[in-house]
Amino acid sequence: MSTPRHHVVIGSGVAGNQAAETLRQRDPESRVTMITVSKLPFFNRYDLPRVFRGERDWRKFVIYPAEYYLDNRIALRRATKVVNVDGARRTLTLEHNETVRFDTLLVASGASAYMPAELAEYQPLMHGFGAFRDAIAAADALPKDGHVILMGGDTIGLDLGRTLLDVGYRVTVIAEKHTFWPHEIKAEERPLYIEALAKMGFEVIDGHARGEIAAVRAGAPGLAPRRVVFHDGSEIHGDIVMPFFGVAPALDFMLGSGVDIERGLLVQPSLRTTNEAIYAAGDVCQIWSDADKRYHFYHGWKNVRAMGELAARNITGADEPWVPIQDESLQLSADGRIRSPFWEYA
Amino acid sequence: MNKTDIQIAICGSAGEGTIAAGDILRSALAGAGYRIIAFDAYPAEIRGFGKCVARLRVTTEQAYSLKEKSDVLVCLNDDHGIPHIGEVRDYGAVIYEEKSIVPLAEGAHVSAHILPGQVPYPVPIRELSERTTGAVRSRNMVVVGYIAGLFGLSREPFYKIVDAKFKNKGSVAVQNRKAFDAGYDLGAATFKLDDVQFGAPGEMFHATMLNGNAAVARGCLDAGIDTFFGYPITPATTIMEKLASEMPKRGKRLLQTEDEIAAIATTIGAGYTGARAATATSGPGLALMSEMLGLGVMAEVPSVVFVSQRGGPATGIPTKTEQADLNIALHGGHGDAPRIVIAPTNVDGCYRCAGKAFEMAERYQTPVIVLLDLYLSNRYETVALPAKSPFEADSDKPLAKQDLGAGYKRFAYTDDHVSPRALPGMAGGMHVVTGLEHNELGRVNEQPDVHEAMSRKRHEKLKAALSHPDFTVYKRFGDEGQVDVGILGWGSSFGECLEAMFLARREGIRCAALKVVMLSPFPVDAVTAFLDDCGAVLVPELNYQGQFAQLVQAETCRPVHRYNRVTGTPLRVEDIYAEVRRLALAATRKAA
Repeated sequence: MSTPRHHVVIGSGVAGNQAAETLRQRDPESRVTMITVSKLPFFNRYDLPRVFRGERDWRKFVIYPAEYYLDNRIALRRATKVVNVDGARRTLTLEHNETVRFDTLLVASGASAYMPAELAEYQPLMHGFGAFRDAIAAADALPKDGHVILMGGDTIGLDLGRTLLDVGYRVTVIAEKHTFWPHEIKAEERPLYIEALAKMGFEVIDGHARGEIAAVRAGAPGLAPRRVVFHDGSEIHGDIVMPFFGVAPALDFMLGSGVDIERGLLVQPSLRTTNEAIYAAGDVCQIWSDADKRYHFYHGWKNVRAMGELAARNITGADEPWVPIQDESLQLSADGRIRSPFWEYA
Repeated sequence: MNKTDIQIAICGSAGEGTIAAGDILRSALAGAGYRIIAFDAYPAEIRGFGKCVARLRVTTEQAYSLKEKSDVLVCLNDDHGIPHIGEVRDYGAVIYEEKSIVPLAEGAHVSAHILPGQVPYPVPIRELSERTTGAVRSRNMVVVGYIAGLFGLSREPFYKIVDAKFKNKGSVAVQNRKAFDAGYDLGAATFKLDDVQFGAPGEMFHATMLNGNAAVARGCLDAGIDTFFGYPITPATTIMEKLASEMPKRGKRLLQTEDEIAAIATTIGAGYTGARAATATSGPGLALMSEMLGLGVMAEVPSVVFVSQRGGPATGIPTKTEQADLNIALHGGHGDAPRIVIAPTNVDGCYRCAGKAFEMAERYQTPVIVLLDLYLSNRYETVALPAKSPFEADSDKPLAKQDLGAGYKRFAYTDDHVSPRALPGMAGGMHVVTGLEHNELGRVNEQPDVHEAMSRKRHEKLKAALSHPDFTVYKRFGDEGQVDVGILGWGSSFGECLEAMFLARREGIRCAALKVVMLSPFPVDAVTAFLDDCGAVLVPELNYQGQFAQLVQAETCRPVHRYNRVTGTPLRVEDIYAEVRRLALAATRKAA
């Protein structure tokens, strides 16, 4: 009797879960292990703004009940960090000193918030939004009718901003080059979208005109708790400051794996890396495009989920190329508001 | 006020301070005003091999047993912790060592086994211990602190317990406080994802936390025990240990004898002199004592024998619980040798049965066996003991002056079959005591009518114990009148019976439970009346044969359903409930 194949998935987001489900369906006899640093099971990050509407129970965000994993024989390993992948030996090492052998590995570790190096030292004064606990901490720090400063203003931040405005908070966006990320906006169209933000209720400050952000500081007596200082010497005050400068692939543990990495893991249209046993899907990978001869990142719930499914199909014998399924263009609605396809999930 | 009902399990290897962590946790929480039921499971080995599990249930309302599922599990050891992961309920917390210092094979770390509904809390336990105390031995204090911090408990009750526990050990208390604080700070800073909530303890529950054996010792002391003779045996030994530290302070004597036969012999000897005397043993010891117990019966000498049962036969499973010594307690030995056998069902009962046993032994001039088991001996509960002893200092039948003198009849036939007892040295009380059959004077007599009369006397005098003052012989709980299912329980497992009954009633089953504390003489009328009220009767117990069920059927001539387990662990509430439900459904189908 042969030993069942062991498919390991790193990451328990949209791509990882879709992949695990597909692996289970297409290879019923296999072992499927999903490893994540998160203490929580798969939850809807797109729904996190609801925390600011008062929803504080993480169970309300969870997509699959606990039984789902048991019924599908998906070993979900949470609070578990992969520190090294040995592509040649097909093993990975966990931070707590355990070694796991795999037959195939899908890296779907996603991305974490990108922080410009010049602002990294001020991170303790900012509130992140990458995890459930970050959202709770930000909501706790925000007084009723408080003032939120969104630095950068990528689509994740703007999505949160919509909720904050709706709930009654004051929201200032410090616009700079990451605003609207990952949408690529032509320079001449940019004012239209900035204007649209204002129409939606955002207060928009042109960070570039002020010489870019220089520092984030604690408020002084009589002032709001936080100050954002610009290189021109001006500053704005708010209750919390949240950075939204886009995301960076989470792949430190892959540096010694032997697979090619640029900014993300480089994969063929089949989502296979340079190691035949290792695939990647989601925000962590750049996919080769034969059309323009370069590697592309693809974002958004639908794209990422499709990547997870495709990777799992190809791992289990298919040979299908990646075809993006999500429109990535930022749109202006008839009433002058912006609408991003990256805000949609289903 | 939010009700609190939280069960915490701490699992580790012998020598890792697992049981000590449970002890500090339960003591501190009892000190904070919560009610506690706790039970430790440990291996037969002294150190270094086996698994230890300390479990404690913390409540604001009275509880009667441990729960099937724990709300929090602490794993100090991967190998031992992994099999217990499944005991944690959904949204409960699993706290474990974050990193291993040795390479682990796949699946050897606790994190590999945490179920999707549970909340993982990896903690750098070893690192915190080493950082704060320079050693790993304070890992247990780190986890106690982590639990306290995670659940927002006050540090003060823990400090108090730590200081008291290590008061004579130099800087150990300080070191342990440091380890506790390190764990506490990390716990308090941890983002809490489980749904375990400690409510305020509410009105301070002024209680003492004792385990069954300590309660027995306390009952002995409050009853004025004069002498104790014993030979160590698990799980009874701690009765002797506790008494050894307390009796000398009160001018009383305790002797460790060379074996169990000597222990019972000296106990009976002391009882003969009028001293309140007791011994404590387990099943193997009781087997050795059986012959001498017959002497106590024949010579009508008061004596008290505490028997804490463990898994048998032979050496058996000495650190696991069982209720399989009922038969030997009731019938062990040769000849018609009736004795009083009582079995407390909880820690408070251990105290009361211990004290009352001395009263009964004196009043009815007979050996009294108090039947515990490992689960009850080692089970901790918060109990409110009376400030003043509720036990009679002297229960001997009054001896009138005219009874003494020439022709004093030590074994006189009387209306209540109890003869006024003269003690050695008492003027006019000279008499013969023998293991041979005897007449009223105590002289050897083998006449048929004498043996018949004396046998009747020795049996009939015990019946009065069924109405012994201020003693609960049996007690009914739950629905009154006719019920679908009745649960008949005894000893340590009655708490699980009671919880199962509550569960059944919540599910709409008419259910009642009867605890029987006095097993000999048997309260036939009360038990028969209960059985007649029940559509079906379930008798759960921790032995293979159904020894209590056999007793009930023999005494009442009524059918009962047996539920027997011999796993070495306490019965499970859910299992008893499942049986109750099955019986109730069967009754419904039959009626339809």
